[in-house]
Amino acid sequence: MDLSTTSLHDFTVVTNECVADGIWRMRLSSTVAPLIEPGQFVNIAVPGDGSHILRIPLSFKRADAEAGTLELLYATVGEGTRRLSAMREGDKSTLVGPCGNGWRLPQEPGRALLVAGGIGLPPILAAARMLASERVGFDVVIGARTYAMHVLPDAEEVLGYGQADGAEYDPDRRVILTTDDGTTASGELGRKAYATDGMSDLMAERAYSQVYTCGPTIMMASVAHMAAEHGIACQASLERMMGCGFGACSCCNVELVRGGYALCCQDGPVFDATEVVW
Amino acid sequence: MSTVSMAVDLGGIKMRNPLNTASGTFGNGWQFEGFYDVGATLGAITCKGLAAEPWAGNPAPRLAELRGAAIMNSVGLQNPGVRGFVETYGEYLQGLRDKGCQVICQVAGHSVEEYVRATELYEELAPFASGFEINISCPNIAKGGAAMGATPEGAAEVMRAVRDRTERPILVKMAPHDVAEIGRALESAGADALSLINTIPGMTIDVHTRKSRLSRPTAGVSGPAIHAIAVRMVWECAQAVAIPLCGIGGVATGEDAAEMILAGATAVSIGTANMVDPSCAPRILAELEDWAESQGVNDINELIGAFEC
Repeated sequence: MDLSTTSLHDFTVVTNECVADGIWRMRLSSTVAPLIEPGQFVNIAVPGDGSHILRIPLSFKRADAEAGTLELLYATVGEGTRRLSAMREGDKSTLVGPCGNGWRLPQEPGRALLVAGGIGLPPILAAARMLASERVGFDVVIGARTYAMHVLPDAEEVLGYGQADGAEYDPDRRVILTTDDGTTASGELGRKAYATDGMSDLMAERAYSQVYTCGPTIMMASVAHMAAEHGIACQASLERMMGCGFGACSCCNVELVRGGYALCCQDGPVFDATEVVW
Repeated sequence: MSTVSMAVDLGGIKMRNPLNTASGTFGNGWQFEGFYDVGATLGAITCKGLAAEPWAGNPAPRLAELRGAAIMNSVGLQNPGVRGFVETYGEYLQGLRDKGCQVICQVAGHSVEEYVRATELYEELAPFASGFEINISCPNIAKGGAAMGATPEGAAEVMRAVRDRTERPILVKMAPHDVAEIGRALESAGADALSLINTIPGMTIDVHTRKSRLSRPTAGVSGPAIHAIAVRMVWECAQAVAIPLCGIGGVATGEDAAEMILAGATAVSIGTANMVDPSCAPRILAELEDWAESQGVNDINELIGAFEC
């Protein structure tokens, strides 16, 4: 039995800015940065309110081991994330990490399809960076409720992942943005589409050997179903209300097809989509 | 290093210091090894409740956060059964014993027979167990659990049945009601020590959907919000029984632990605080030692029940 390597780390806020409607990007400096793998997460203590005691589990977009920084994207959905958005440069707190098991590289050669919905974006960006570092070709679909909630700089950045050295690698990468309400960059009303519609379009054009997804459960359930129909392996990063974040309290259960429950924090958050009861 | 002797005797379980962990909030110890050296730090750990056979536990959601420094859980004793537990964690837990940390194994069941069966399996398979804690107070299972411990007669029946099966010390995890009366019944039935309190049954309703925020209508409240209630119950129970108590409920600081000891607790368990601040135990221990020293005693035992009313 391996002992846990999850531990407590101090962090300092480097930047914290609103990057889309209700979406914030925080860069923090922490000793967890060189230890964490794509798809793992951290459980953050947000100071300022003793009446709310639980930490906030957050996935990350990028870990820079050399700079010792971690870049998060988060939505201000509750009281805790609103307090998080009030943290300023130089503010300090603690985080628990690295938590959970991250993304795995594809078992089969071939192209990967990444499908993000809403604030499921950051771990998908981390997966994209991981694939780029292994020179695996991939395309990305990012869904949002409305255009103002798309984190445009981060979505555009994906096209450049792995391309910096100018070598010929994945030149035809596609990044498709969809909006539930049909709003577009131009302000004209366009196609009302879910991320799964973008996924269908890409699957009609290209062959994939692996799907990575993170987003609302209803979206991931559809993604998992579509991947299974096409016989494509699918990894899904799940979200649950969490207590400890490292397997001590058994609160974040995920129902399994084979019966019983796994713990999202300890056994996930990345699961083989065929093992999960959607 | 403290000049105060911190060792205590919890009904035959010799602890190097009074700090224990509340079952269900501490995994089986190994999850905390990245935060501190568990075996070298704690007086004891109490493992997750186990039945003879594996239990799946309750559906999601199992956790809700409340305003006012409290959470609610409805885990329902998900566990791999005694055999699976020993196979996976036995070696690690023996290692804790070797380092001087006691290992208290918790017994769960839906019926008297199931408590007996689980205890027998532990006796057969778990030489590392320093003692047992019989959980007759889980509010999150449909049968057994809190129902078994709801009355003095019911609690004593389970205790007597288990008493015959082991020579090792037996603690009983008590529900947060009638602790004096039920405590006396358990003492008469052969309990070596009592652990109190388990979570307090509560409700949390999503007013938009009109449904519980958890998978069951009621669930257990824990955290700093319940600390004062727990201290009061430890005090009431301490006056009713002669056996030692382990105080549990909202302990997050050395001062909280000190309150439990003054109210009559011999040992103190950290529960929800393990989830919030996983590295809290060494800090709480240091704070407790500082407090004991500030009280001018040579031995922490001089402070047990030293509350002055």
